[in-house]
Amino acid sequence: MLNRKIRTAAALAGVTVLTAALTACGGDDDSGGGGGAGKTLNVLIGANTQFPEQFAAWQKSISDKFKAATGATVKFETFASANDELTKIQTSVVSGSGPDVYAVGTTFTPTAYSTGAFVKMGDDEWKKIGGKEKFNPATLGISGPDDNNQVGIPWVSRPFVMAYNTELLKAAGIAKPATTWDELTQQAKQLTKGDQYGLAIAYKDNFDPWKFAWGMSVQAGNPLVDGKTAKLQDPAVQKAFSTYFGWLATDKVVDPAAVGWTNPQALAAFAKGKTGYFLLTTTTATNSLEQGAVKGKWAFALLPTVPPGATSRPANGVEAASILSGDNLLVADYSKNKDLAFEYVKLVTDPEVQLDYYQKFGNLPANASALQSLASDQRLAPVTEAAQKSVATPFTGAWGDIQLALTNVAVQTLPDLTKGPISTAQIDTRLAAAQKSAQSALDRAK
Amino acid sequence: MSASAEAQRLLPRPLLVVLTALLCAIVLVPVLYIVLASLNSDVGVASGEFWPSSFSLHSYSRIWTTADLSNGILNSLIVCGVTAVASALLGTTTAYVLVRYSFRGRLTILRGLVGLQSIPGTLMLLPVFVLFSSAGNYLGLTVVGTRWGLFVAYLTFALPFSTWVMVTYLRGLPRELEEAARTEGASTLVILRRIIFPLSLPAIVVSGIFAFLLGWNDVLFATVLTRPETHTAAVALSIFGSAQEGGALPVYSQMMAASLVCAAPVVILYLIFQRYLVGGLTAGGVK
Amino acid sequence: MTTLIRPPDKTAPKQQRRRGVTERQRPLWLLTPGGVLMILIVLIPLALALWISLIDLDQYSLRRWIEAPFIGFANYTESFSSGLLHSIWISVSFAVLSTVATVPIGIAAALVTQNAYRGRGLVRAIFLIPYVLPSFVVSTVWRTMLQPDGIVNKVLGDGSTLWLSGPRAYWTLVLVEIWAAWPFIYLMALAGLQSVDHEVHEASAVDGATWWPKLYKVILPYLRGPVLLACLLATLNHINNFTLPFVLFGAPAPDNVNVMPMLVYVTSFQSLRFGLSAAMAVVSLILVAIPLFIYLRAVRLDVHDEGGRR
Repeated sequence: MLNRKIRTAAALAGVTVLTAALTACGGDDDSGGGGGAGKTLNVLIGANTQFPEQFAAWQKSISDKFKAATGATVKFETFASANDELTKIQTSVVSGSGPDVYAVGTTFTPTAYSTGAFVKMGDDEWKKIGGKEKFNPATLGISGPDDNNQVGIPWVSRPFVMAYNTELLKAAGIAKPATTWDELTQQAKQLTKGDQYGLAIAYKDNFDPWKFAWGMSVQAGNPLVDGKTAKLQDPAVQKAFSTYFGWLATDKVVDPAAVGWTNPQALAAFAKGKTGYFLLTTTTATNSLEQGAVKGKWAFALLPTVPPGATSRPANGVEAASILSGDNLLVADYSKNKDLAFEYVKLVTDPEVQLDYYQKFGNLPANASALQSLASDQRLAPVTEAAQKSVATPFTGAWGDIQLALTNVAVQTLPDLTKGPISTAQIDTRLAAAQKSAQSALDRAK
Repeated sequence: MSASAEAQRLLPRPLLVVLTALLCAIVLVPVLYIVLASLNSDVGVASGEFWPSSFSLHSYSRIWTTADLSNGILNSLIVCGVTAVASALLGTTTAYVLVRYSFRGRLTILRGLVGLQSIPGTLMLLPVFVLFSSAGNYLGLTVVGTRWGLFVAYLTFALPFSTWVMVTYLRGLPRELEEAARTEGASTLVILRRIIFPLSLPAIVVSGIFAFLLGWNDVLFATVLTRPETHTAAVALSIFGSAQEGGALPVYSQMMAASLVCAAPVVILYLIFQRYLVGGLTAGGVK
Repeated sequence: MTTLIRPPDKTAPKQQRRRGVTERQRPLWLLTPGGVLMILIVLIPLALALWISLIDLDQYSLRRWIEAPFIGFANYTESFSSGLLHSIWISVSFAVLSTVATVPIGIAAALVTQNAYRGRGLVRAIFLIPYVLPSFVVSTVWRTMLQPDGIVNKVLGDGSTLWLSGPRAYWTLVLVEIWAAWPFIYLMALAGLQSVDHEVHEASAVDGATWWPKLYKVILPYLRGPVLLACLLATLNHINNFTLPFVLFGAPAPDNVNVMPMLVYVTSFQSLRFGLSAAMAVVSLILVAIPLFIYLRAVRLDVHDEGGRR
């Protein structure tokens, strides 16, 4: 009997050691309070596989600067993709714990706002980070539903533009890139011959398709959401999708393989130098383009701002050159280190840091003076212009679902796209389904 | 060839050769492609090359910086290794009681062991997550993001399985030795340690390996329950795979290299213990 | 080989009456660590999942999830109008097709490695490879090969065949699943073959039976048990497979490959309808429970000797 007790004790001791070992491995330090020294600020930020070394170096330098300024350490957590990011946000919302600062894609800001888990920026808060006026005004467009309820602090912009092959355009006798969608289609036809295509488009991308649909619709005067009503079943949206699908199926100005392309693949195709235009790209692609056959033979241009089927924008149309794209910083409501969090936000939105970040990774500054200092760069001119002409997508918690519904229109249409032109009836059916799910998302929105 | 071996042959020789070759080709061609692609350049793979125009180990050296693989593999080894040991040992003791003693609810437990293996992971993810994070709020324990939390989660999947493997094994183990030991006054734990464990070592190894693999293959739970320091190999690979938005070119060759590196530990493990697995699988019958 | 795993149980029946010796000091406490874990991390979350399926939990109520309004079966009714039936159909047909296709391959593989020859060990090892490779690796690799300008189209000489979307996507899913899953049937069939007595081989050989009747009448009946079991388990695994479609097609998935785990995932982690998605998951659990029930009945025969002793 005694023997048995000893064994039990030994077994228990074994378990305890095991647990202790695992706990030790866990490595989590939760330090709260105020003051700085000895504290850790957790920051969630998108992973960068394109420049991993530079990214690590940047994190290190920010961490050092932050330590010098406040005495506290910054610990970076990375998310892989937009989906991953969303999961991370939910995780933190449920648990009331997690990163103190989030770098969140602009289109996810409404969703994040709807959870009510982030600090609303009042005058005090804006003051702490150096004032609202230091930002490019356009970038504040998706910080909150209105000026008094803002959670997102602009960090970087990635306005969408198109890239074009200067040599191919010249050879086809095209003097300057298109400014209306119809003109673009026309030029694309001129550019398509042999193994050369007019446009590179990422049809299978999980985010690109809805950006086209939204952009063209807004230019035609339909912002897709009107208060609590979804307006997806609308001639403007239908025209947008038929133009978008038509490039491949009717006009045949896109490589048929594009049906399976995501954005990186479309970029790779354009980089080979056999495509006239690559629609929907941004400054972060610069490095990739310079590595390809297209090196030195490309330039950015503003995406067309006149809706398809028109020669000038209708009166209620908006000159939306791009969705308001980039990252916002959000400070978590549960954070025990809010002051430190604002210190961090202040640090990374300062002009030097912003410019350094642009130089390393190609993300445009949200800081107005930093952006201004880039204006002299000829190549960037169209991008900075797009940054100013970016328009925010509707600010509703339902936007994520609406976006998903629009993407789904493309996802479900792709199979038919290989067979030939898409009829308006087909588009209408898909739009009806999208409208239904968008409307039900809006109905639930609070 | 001996007469009895000839009698054992179930198929005519030509058919046997053809089938073997065909099946090997089905398996090996894609595998060969992975290996070749991992030795190719990213651009080469993207343009659909099978045979690389130039061989290089570039991808293998790149992935350690582009993907957080070393940390991921280390974490996977630790978490899955501990899961394997713990679930094999716990499984053996639990199975021992279930096989050797009768009590009310025993059959329910046995059925439950099988049933638990079929619950869809997507169903469990959210509640497990909510509970783990609530533990942080109410008990002051940090569970989410620690290796410990992941270990506990994997143990729940692994334990029913390990137990089931051991139940089927122990059932066939003769009782004489145990009973002899018991008449000499040995306690249950002594019997377990001196008789059951040594006798059932092969089965314990099998159940441990499967527990290890369950953890190694998991993506769903690891994505939600880990933080960068505790990312597993699967998460590191999936982050690498999906973090290519925003102006990067596809990095297929590195993907293939990273996939091979992530698969290597399990492949080695499998091959070493291959001979045990056939029976082990039939006993537990689940991947 | 198998004897290592399953020692001959010839002695077991004799022991049955002598259990009285141990009856008195049943060390049931040994069940506690496992039991507590199970309750903590399986039963409680399961109950919680059921509860979530009855409340209106979404992004707006997530933060105070305990206070989310109770809405009864509304999530269930909604799930049936949100494509659940379609997904069930896709999932079940995909799972059954994959299982049916893997059976002949697996049995054939077991047959060719049954008799000993030089290099058999290597062949067996090769056969295990697809099974050994982690699911996320298998799907990543196939996704790369099936790109529009990837290797598969290159070999077929057709640059525009779409494997990852369109009508072929479904077949891609089935084919990749078959590639990854047949070794499971192979292993189970192999184990079944090893239970065939040596005498049976000898006898049928002496009879001068040709291979097919021998195989069909003598050997295959031995495989029926293990292979049927394997089929059930494989079908369950196919139905629950999330990694493969997720990595191959991404989310949202094309309609024709929108299997249940994908639907549940998108509903909860992209649309943030946690209640709705929990309801869908519960329905899929019930669906899985049907073959499982069959399995448990089959297994019961196995448990029979102890079951009788209760």
